[in-house]
Amino acid sequence: MSKNSNHLSGKEVRAIAKENKRVIKSLEAYKNRKADESEYLGHMSDQNNILEIDNLHTYFFTEQGVVKAVNGVSFNIPKNTTVGVVGESGCGKSVTSMSVMRLIQGPAGQIYSGSIRFNAKEKNGESKVYDIAKMPIRDIHKIRGNQISMIFQEPMTSLNPVFTIGQQLDEVSFIHDPNATKESAKAKSIEMLELVGIAMPERVYNAFPHELSGGMRQRVMISMALASNPRLIIADEPTTALDVTIQAQILDLLRDLKTKIDGSIMLITHDLGVIAEMADYVVVMYAGRVIERGPVKEIFHNPLHPYTIGLQKSKPTLDSDSDTLFNIPGNVPNPVNMPNYCYFRERCSQCTKKCSGDYPDMVEVTPNHFVACHLYGGEDK
Amino acid sequence: MSEEIKNQEIDTDAILEVRNLRKCFPLKKTVTGKVTQELIAVDNVSFKLKAGETLGIVGESGCGKTTLGRTILKLHEATGGKIFFEGKDITDYNSKQMRDIRTKMQIIFQDPYSSLPPRSTVGGILSEPVEVHNIVPKEQVKDYVLDLMTKCGLRDYYYERYPHEFSGGQRQRSCIARALSVKPKLVICDEPVSALDVSIQAQIINLLKQLQNELNLTYVFISHDLSVVKFISDKIGVMYLGSMVEFGSKEDIFSNPLHPYTKALFSAIPHPDPDVKMNRIILKGDIPSPANSPKGCRFHTRCPHATDKCREVTPEYKDYGNGHCAACHLLG
Amino acid sequence: MEEQTKNEALETQNTEVPLDKTVRLMSPTRMVVRRFFRSKLSIVGLVMVISLFLFSFVGPLVYTEWGEIELDESGKTEYSVSQTTYTVNGREYVVRQTTEKSLKDNFLAPPSAEHILGTDNEGYDIFVRLMYGGRISLIVSFIAVFLITVLGVIMGGIAGFFGGAIDNIIMRLCDVLICLPGIPILLIISTILDASEIDAKYRIYLLMIYLTFISWPGTARLVRGQILSLREQEYMVAAEAMGYSAPRKIFKHLVPNVMPQLIVQMSLSLGSMILYEATLSYLNLGVKAPYAAWGTMINIISTNQDILQNHLNVWVPAGICIVIAVLGFNFIGDGLRDALDPKARR
Repeated sequence: MSKNSNHLSGKEVRAIAKENKRVIKSLEAYKNRKADESEYLGHMSDQNNILEIDNLHTYFFTEQGVVKAVNGVSFNIPKNTTVGVVGESGCGKSVTSMSVMRLIQGPAGQIYSGSIRFNAKEKNGESKVYDIAKMPIRDIHKIRGNQISMIFQEPMTSLNPVFTIGQQLDEVSFIHDPNATKESAKAKSIEMLELVGIAMPERVYNAFPHELSGGMRQRVMISMALASNPRLIIADEPTTALDVTIQAQILDLLRDLKTKIDGSIMLITHDLGVIAEMADYVVVMYAGRVIERGPVKEIFHNPLHPYTIGLQKSKPTLDSDSDTLFNIPGNVPNPVNMPNYCYFRERCSQCTKKCSGDYPDMVEVTPNHFVACHLYGGEDK
Repeated sequence: MSEEIKNQEIDTDAILEVRNLRKCFPLKKTVTGKVTQELIAVDNVSFKLKAGETLGIVGESGCGKTTLGRTILKLHEATGGKIFFEGKDITDYNSKQMRDIRTKMQIIFQDPYSSLPPRSTVGGILSEPVEVHNIVPKEQVKDYVLDLMTKCGLRDYYYERYPHEFSGGQRQRSCIARALSVKPKLVICDEPVSALDVSIQAQIINLLKQLQNELNLTYVFISHDLSVVKFISDKIGVMYLGSMVEFGSKEDIFSNPLHPYTKALFSAIPHPDPDVKMNRIILKGDIPSPANSPKGCRFHTRCPHATDKCREVTPEYKDYGNGHCAACHLLG
Repeated sequence: MEEQTKNEALETQNTEVPLDKTVRLMSPTRMVVRRFFRSKLSIVGLVMVISLFLFSFVGPLVYTEWGEIELDESGKTEYSVSQTTYTVNGREYVVRQTTEKSLKDNFLAPPSAEHILGTDNEGYDIFVRLMYGGRISLIVSFIAVFLITVLGVIMGGIAGFFGGAIDNIIMRLCDVLICLPGIPILLIISTILDASEIDAKYRIYLLMIYLTFISWPGTARLVRGQILSLREQEYMVAAEAMGYSAPRKIFKHLVPNVMPQLIVQMSLSLGSMILYEATLSYLNLGVKAPYAAWGTMINIISTNQDILQNHLNVWVPAGICIVIAVLGFNFIGDGLRDALDPKARR
């Protein structure tokens, strides 16, 4: 009987299922509707931005309750910059990127509200602003893989094992350029392979994925992402599955590429070291929310949120000589049925009375450096 | 007679000593069972470890560090070399003899998701070894387990819960508790934190350190992350393609790395400070497959200083003073 | 003073606990039950199987008009023999006269209030025999599946866990058993059983033991395959490092983790065992008259072409019962498969 307090009762489960069904039905209908382009065209608040995410909510309607994986996330990606999104597992960083790509697995996962404005450049040179969150799923091909492309974490499983690298790369060219011939596609593929620093592109072109090492495969994935000349590359933990020495190679390559291509990179990682090396602007996420964002130097030299501070202190470095590591107590909260107070409250060492109040708003402490914490900017209100 | 000589050689201080350990996995066999091609996972590894010390083993994937750990525990049968545990040669122990030693050496795994049986509660997982090995009398088992859980930072109401309800950190704590439930002396930590988040990593590392002080444990800490290894270890071994390329005390390894691979490994770690622009040694190419490792020095395919000698002759593993060993021709 | 600190400790504990103690998830059992009942088909299967059970096991207790081997005597032909003795020339002549008189035509009777589904060519009540036939079919298939599972788990567990030569021997034995042609051997055994005059009631059980003997390799292979993959899981390496004994590792750690697949396999093979039993009975190898089985009830058509065409009530109900049973068990099996496999989220 003691288990009853730990687990959901049948009645509760049925109530959750009923409510989920209702919400999912309307959201699915919205996703699959036919819509005129004018319905989802919008305006950027700043023309210098490539992507503006505004109060995005992405929920997963599970049998155990609603998981607010992304719960009111807002940030911008300016042109020609690398924006690093950092956070621990389950903080919603990957879900944010999947929302931008509209790759959230339905019917359980749905973009609930908010907008993702993307500054697209059409082939004829004119620019249009699409609101990705409002686009019906049938129109998404205008952007996905075309204007925005993605590099995944697992280079082992992101390539189809039964086709050669060449076949898979050529396919990208064919999809994005209907006039491409076999020869032109091959030439382009080999050029792409060269661009990502593969020494023998001809040989790799004819190879099957299993013949390549992890680092090589990740290079191929990157070349694939580049093949369509995207405006934005989303790199979701591109080096996590790789060894340190290979990671150094790939990071070097990505840094190099940023200067070669005319686009922005959204880099998602849990490794602060990678962020420090790669990013211009950093977004720190915790439990589905952005808790701090700002330029990379600000974040690393003047972190404000106790979580950001703790995260930096808890990573052992080669220079540190202390005896115990600083650590943040407790665990990342389970994302079901979150309360409306600061999620970090229970792990925070600087918790005050104010923290039991509503979730803190974002405040701009120094120019372009925002933080969501009751410790800052409270006086104005 | 030979037994006596062996015993004399053994350092009584050392809780664990490994001599020229070698482990091969057969890849191809003829019909008669003769091995024609093999993968040399661990080749000629030797080291000594004193009680209460921590040995950190660093290396990239495929370098044989996991195999080394499991061979020491005799989860794999060693192909060659000797393992001494508490002064006894356990290399040829059969499974019955091993059963008595099992409680003295334990292992913690990398993946906290697959290392706990999914169909038992945490209480069940932790009490089973205690009951099997009669660590405490039957009626005290539950108290003992609850006490252990508190020690490892698990709340008592987790006793009734299943592993799938836990986060990675809590699972790893359960794994540590399970390993410690039989009161071991040596614990092999096989990448215990690499699957965890940064803030949880720090918790687990601190927990491991604290438990070591309390219970006088000896660790073999396997990891690919040099910064973690530096934090927890007294001695460090760097492995590349199955062999130990450098071994020494933490201070020696970090202040004066000898082997070019160790140096490259240091410089490859991203530094969490945007202002530090490191002069990075970026190694070319990939790690060769251990099934087909290169002749001569195994590192020569990626080494920036490789000479013709390196391509032909395997360098000797030599002591360069103060127990700081390395295997490289450049050191003369 | 001490109390105060205690209270404080309690308070801090209370404030610390919420985020993960208030989060309540579904227990594993509830999750499985919920996923099972989410599929309409598995509910249909469950209803089918449960109603068949009620029909066969509770039915005969409620509907007691007729017994399983009770003939409707009212339809029996009566013979009266009269005998006259004549004496001619000192010789005695006995003339026997037989009069055949049918009181009421009660074999192959159409459905009526007295016989819900009519009677068969012998005058047995079909409805009642359906119930008793169901009993035999269900009991026999449950016994067979149970035996198959026990044997399969033991053999597969040993083969998968120890590997090497033992694995080789057991698996080659499986191969041989799978190669054996089941029905021809059954025919031979049945002939032997006929010759040795074993009671009709027990024949079917003997045959089920034979079925178990030739069917366990399927389960053994499943268990072995699962164990081979589970053995590589880190918790099994941990069990090895703990120095647990082999039986403990097999039956306490490995087999419980094979249970989901095993349960699915069991419910699917229940269906096929019912089919097997029906086939045997149809071929007159299983239950013999006067005892009822669904297969024997269909077999009646082979005695008389007329029944096949004009007396559908004699053999169609038994066929429907078989279909319901097999479908029901298969639906349940599929539902369980979806419910127990955590990866199969749709």
